[in-house]
Amino acid sequence: MLEFYVGIYLVGVFVSSVSQVLLKKAASREYHSAVREYLNPWVITAYAMFFGATLMTIFSYKVVPLSMGAILEATAYLYITFFGVVIFKEKLSWKKIAALSLIVLGIIIYSMGM
Amino acid sequence: MSFAKKKSPRAKTLIALHLLLFVYSLSGLFSKGASKEPFFSLPFVCLYAGMLLILGIYAIGWQQILKRLSLSLAFANKAVTVVWGMFWGWAAFGEQISFLNLIGAVMVIVGVVLYAWIDGKEEKPSDPVDGDKWLVRGRHGSPDVGGEGADA
Repeated sequence: MLEFYVGIYLVGVFVSSVSQVLLKKAASREYHSAVREYLNPWVITAYAMFFGATLMTIFSYKVVPLSMGAILEATAYLYITFFGVVIFKEKLSWKKIAALSLIVLGIIIYSMGM
Repeated sequence: MSFAKKKSPRAKTLIALHLLLFVYSLSGLFSKGASKEPFFSLPFVCLYAGMLLILGIYAIGWQQILKRLSLSLAFANKAVTVVWGMFWGWAAFGEQISFLNLIGAVMVIVGVVLYAWIDGKEEKPSDPVDGDKWLVRGRHGSPDVGGEGADA
């Protein structure tokens, strides 16, 4: 039961992270007008995904405790790193992998205490 | 925490950041509250709108903070939202916090702070902010901020 709703929450964090990447991509493009800067497929898709993510969060909060929410939110660092490496060509150091491992381990231990 | 004798602009920015993160933590109260209402009922819509309003305020405030502070230091401080989340869950909804929860939360917080710190040390040419110093000195008098917005 809890696992299912935690899963929804995690998908929400992922979708929200993707929307952030879309916004960053959109921000790096050149636009001919101010309207186009905010009303273009990238930005609109990003905000649609963001709204979807907020609804997923609320749905999962039916079962997931609020105290666990911010913990699950920390998985965003995994996605941010992944997109950084794949899309923005940032390099991934062992130190960063260690920090990410600590976050993931923390989430697992937190979950074991539920 | 020991700030210098006189409050530096950086200390003020950090205080502002923490006020902002506190406001942000309130969005969880609205989300959790909304989850207890039937979807798209009037209370649901009101709570959802409240949550969006807080996120909007947060987004604007976060952009302002990033003009004065490096992204990595801002993210390191954002780890405090884990503490707020646990506090609100306990205080407002009577959630139990177990020993393993506490251990896991400390690990997540340390992991996030470490991640941000490492990210700040590894300078990326694409970053508008010099993460090394964990501080932006503002547009004036910061010759080392490269590229972006360097017009006029």
